[in-house]
Amino acid sequence: MSNKCLLIPSGFPRLPLKNGIGRVVCQLKRITIKFCKSSGSSQGVRNFIELDLLDFTNNNPEVVIYLKPRRHHSPVVISEYLNGERHYMNFHNFTRDNTNKWLNFLRTRVGIKTIRFRKLQHTELPSIQGVWSPFTNKSPELNITSFPNEKFLQPKHLPESATERLRKMFERQKLKESEEMKMNNKSIEVQQ
Amino acid sequence: MLLIVLPNLQEEVVALYSCSRKKYREYHRFFSPLLKQLKRRQIIAPPPINHRNTYLEWNYEAELYSFGKRLGEEFDNELLRQALMQRSYLKKLEEEQKRVGIEVSSNENVDNVCMIPKGEEILQNFTLLYLRHILPRFPEEGIQSIKDHLMSEETLSHVCFHIGASELILCEDFPVEKSTLNSTMKALIFALHESSGLERTSVFIRDFILTQIAELDINDLWNIENPIETLNTICRNEDVDLPEPRIVGDSGVNTILALYRVGLYINKKLIGLGSGESIKIAHEMAASDALRRLFGTAEHQLNIPFNLVLNPKIKSEPNLGVKDWCEKRVQERIKQTLSLNE
Repeated sequence: MSNKCLLIPSGFPRLPLKNGIGRVVCQLKRITIKFCKSSGSSQGVRNFIELDLLDFTNNNPEVVIYLKPRRHHSPVVISEYLNGERHYMNFHNFTRDNTNKWLNFLRTRVGIKTIRFRKLQHTELPSIQGVWSPFTNKSPELNITSFPNEKFLQPKHLPESATERLRKMFERQKLKESEEMKMNNKSIEVQQ
Repeated sequence: MLLIVLPNLQEEVVALYSCSRKKYREYHRFFSPLLKQLKRRQIIAPPPINHRNTYLEWNYEAELYSFGKRLGEEFDNELLRQALMQRSYLKKLEEEQKRVGIEVSSNENVDNVCMIPKGEEILQNFTLLYLRHILPRFPEEGIQSIKDHLMSEETLSHVCFHIGASELILCEDFPVEKSTLNSTMKALIFALHESSGLERTSVFIRDFILTQIAELDINDLWNIENPIETLNTICRNEDVDLPEPRIVGDSGVNTILALYRVGLYINKKLIGLGSGESIKIAHEMAASDALRRLFGTAEHQLNIPFNLVLNPKIKSEPNLGVKDWCEKRVQERIKQTLSLNE
């Protein structure tokens, strides 16, 4: 993020009028293209108007396009959006391809002012399992215990001590020995 | 960068001066005072806002054409023009004609006054039909309050502005007032009904007006006065024991930030949970939580579909009121509506 971003207002991506939940509405309502009929800086825009403009209008009947020839001026595109915003862009020395691409960009914009996104998504329902409270995931047992209580005085996850491990090993050994003894007794009985 | 910070300044001037010394990574010394001066001027005498139709590039015919295309609807041109024509505009026109000395021709049935109540009726019928279909367990009082929210001036004017009608409306007030936008929206619905039929209109209403309750907590729209009493009434209708409140947890008792958590139980089964700063409030919250779960509008239950195609000709029966609400009758009603839609 560069220093420039500090001056740009920040916000979350929002769609006007819940666009897309019902049906998708193109947010661009009209474009004004100002260009010069003779100067070189308008060459690309003029080519666009001659060759591609009709296709553009046929594909996007929801956008009204106005052409304003202005002598000896840089070509300029002013796009107006459904939320009332105007976006001004200079097309100086743009080629025909550039013009096509930028117009497509302007067409697919939502129309909100340029902002720095704090996050790339936004939701009105941040949690479906409910907001955390001090009682979330608490055992109901706590309600009827009187404190101080020996059980709750201990740490929740105590690692096994060496003594405890030894004791368990000893018990396991004893169990094994007793089983072996039993087996031996049985075999003796069968032999007899 | 600066264009964004001060968007209303004379853009070209700012762009020119901020770029001129870019290679030295600095601005002219006069640049900051210039901006201050421009800002000051703007505060003293803000530039007048003109209606879009006073601009040179304005073609009302083309704008009307793309208005219909934008919404994906086929409007009859005459009807669309009539829907956008307000009485105030005609009056102003007549006065001007009188002043100049032209004979005033009768302008009856040219404005949208007669279209507004008809559009309102279509809107109301379909809104109620759709809401009752998607929220069959929600009591009628709640359905009515959601409908009131959707048909309020606030919502309708918001929708009307954002489909781009505000510049096309022919009216005297500028900037266009909310009441004007509100009435025009209703007239537009009627115009659509006359041009493309009821089916298309109902889909239009679903897509543009009903979707306004998405991302909205519908429980906020309907305020239940006394949730505990309401819950008791429903329990009596169901023939079960009255819910038993129990403190499930508390924290910071005897402090200023006390917190209680109350659960409501019927036959040892939890039906609602609520917390509050006193036991009474927590009890009420628990009752309204239980009601929400019963009505199917709790956070985890609510998933409103906005893609249903309903038959708008069906006359919808009102949902059960709170006083008659019980599980058995609700199930019967859901069966009825399902069979009607088939």
